[in-house]
Amino acid sequence: MNKALRNPLVFTLFVLPALFLFMMFFIYPIFSSLYYSFTSWNGVSDTVKFSGLTNFKKALGDERFWISAKNNGLFICFSVFIQVPLIVLFSLLIANVKKLKGLYKTAVFMPSIMSTAVIGILWGFIYEPNIGLLNKLIGLVGIEPIYWLSDERFAMISILITNAWQWTGFYIVMVLAAILSIPGELNEAAMIDGATGVQRATRITLPLIMPIITVVIMLSIAGAMKAADIVIVMTKGGPAGSTEVMATYMIKYAITNFKYGYGNAIAVLIFIFTLLVTALYQLLIARRNERIEY
Amino acid sequence: MLRTLKKCIPHVILLAYLLVILFPFLFVLFSSVKKNNLEIALNPFGIPKEFVFDNYIEAWVNAKISTYFFNSMYIAIFASVVTILLGSMFAFAVTRMRQGKWNGILFSLVLVGMLIPNNALMLPIYTIVRKLGILNTHWALIIPYIANAIPFTVIILAAFMRILPREIEEAAVMDGLNAPGIFAKIIVPLTVPAMVTVFIVNFLGNWNEFLLANYFLSNDELRTLPVGMVQFRDQYQMNYAQMSAGIVYSVLPVVIIYAFLQEKIIEGLTAGSVKG
Repeated sequence: MNKALRNPLVFTLFVLPALFLFMMFFIYPIFSSLYYSFTSWNGVSDTVKFSGLTNFKKALGDERFWISAKNNGLFICFSVFIQVPLIVLFSLLIANVKKLKGLYKTAVFMPSIMSTAVIGILWGFIYEPNIGLLNKLIGLVGIEPIYWLSDERFAMISILITNAWQWTGFYIVMVLAAILSIPGELNEAAMIDGATGVQRATRITLPLIMPIITVVIMLSIAGAMKAADIVIVMTKGGPAGSTEVMATYMIKYAITNFKYGYGNAIAVLIFIFTLLVTALYQLLIARRNERIEY
Repeated sequence: MLRTLKKCIPHVILLAYLLVILFPFLFVLFSSVKKNNLEIALNPFGIPKEFVFDNYIEAWVNAKISTYFFNSMYIAIFASVVTILLGSMFAFAVTRMRQGKWNGILFSLVLVGMLIPNNALMLPIYTIVRKLGILNTHWALIIPYIANAIPFTVIILAAFMRILPREIEEAAVMDGLNAPGIFAKIIVPLTVPAMVTVFIVNFLGNWNEFLLANYFLSNDELRTLPVGMVQFRDQYQMNYAQMSAGIVYSVLPVVIIYAFLQEKIIEGLTAGSVKG
């Protein structure tokens, strides 16, 4: 009866356009990246020279590469140790208020739908030394103006704060959804047993939302490894390369300096580092959480 | 007394957070109607004494924000529409048509796309685009944007199509419809709600995209809004009032869409990330 839905020709025609684009822009680039990472190709010439592991050796021996890898690490640490606790705190607070719940949710989510480039410009204005909002604010309590984005001591933290400002709300909404899906009976039972609000939050809600927190951390790691546009817009990697991240380092060499092979080696390293961090996190922390029985 | 105090504390904390989120927007909004930097510096927090709308006209006309705005608009809409078309065809085939193991294999393959950090693939994509001879044309963005959104689109639409009951198409087959007919006349109309979500999420992604837009186009007339804004800032570094007007132009469409469709946007964006 369902012959119409078994037609292989129609099936192929329906699948092919999307599949073609997918292969061309997802699968092929992976292999192409891997291949060129072993060459010294400049990205334009006709001859591609194989150079073995030279690119990788060069990258791993370059101090600037490690500065950028360290900055990716800072992105991860900042989200895991500062953002995640705040996310949990704010989600718990929003879940437990009766009024204005919708307003809080809608407002905190808003920055995450905006262009990172425009957010970068906006915060560049806030950090502006002479007329920016932040220096005006700290000026009220008598602190001297700080050159947020052009002082090596403050540039990275300024970027991290901007990044957190944009994405915290997104994760809050995710965690909030998980909290609100916990059956009400659990909390009611605990309340009858005389548990205080804080006890209920730490003993009931928190263990139950651990899986979604793991997701949040995994997404933060993935996001941290991809970070590029915010750095390009806010500091261009400066001052003196102190805010460079791996993706901007890659772009700098491959597109600006025509070291295409070397750039691809960095891309491969980004892949490997992402896998390593994710695997490490899974092994050390996420596993342990799964053992908690409710 | 103690009870009301206890009830207030969460609101105090949350309202403080709200202020941190919203005040930067207000700051930009106020700055955009101030005469110049001096007035921003003298009165950084408050509403200006007199409203100056020249900044908006200047930014729109002289700084070519209008060009960037329409470039972004048409690229984002066009790429999102094509993605939906290709994605829904693919999702229909793998969820509703019967090709044995191929359904599962193809779907899982596309699923893998959600796990790939796409920034790291930027260089090979740059080479592909150059070899196709479309570097420095709008196609250099449109085609990668279409491809980039396919995994997310397929996942959401497939999840939606999968739960439609089998009986509807059985009836359609009895009426003599073929597969494309079932797709166009029955499945697509039923999938519209999910398509709206996917469309908005893809539109926002394309509207906001920066990296490809920054490196794949060098002709000023072709630039999209985020790139144009960055360039505008670099050129007119000193004119913060006008720059603020530019920021308002680029944020406004997003805020308007969000005001009407926040539930769909939140649901779509969080679903996409969790599944990936």
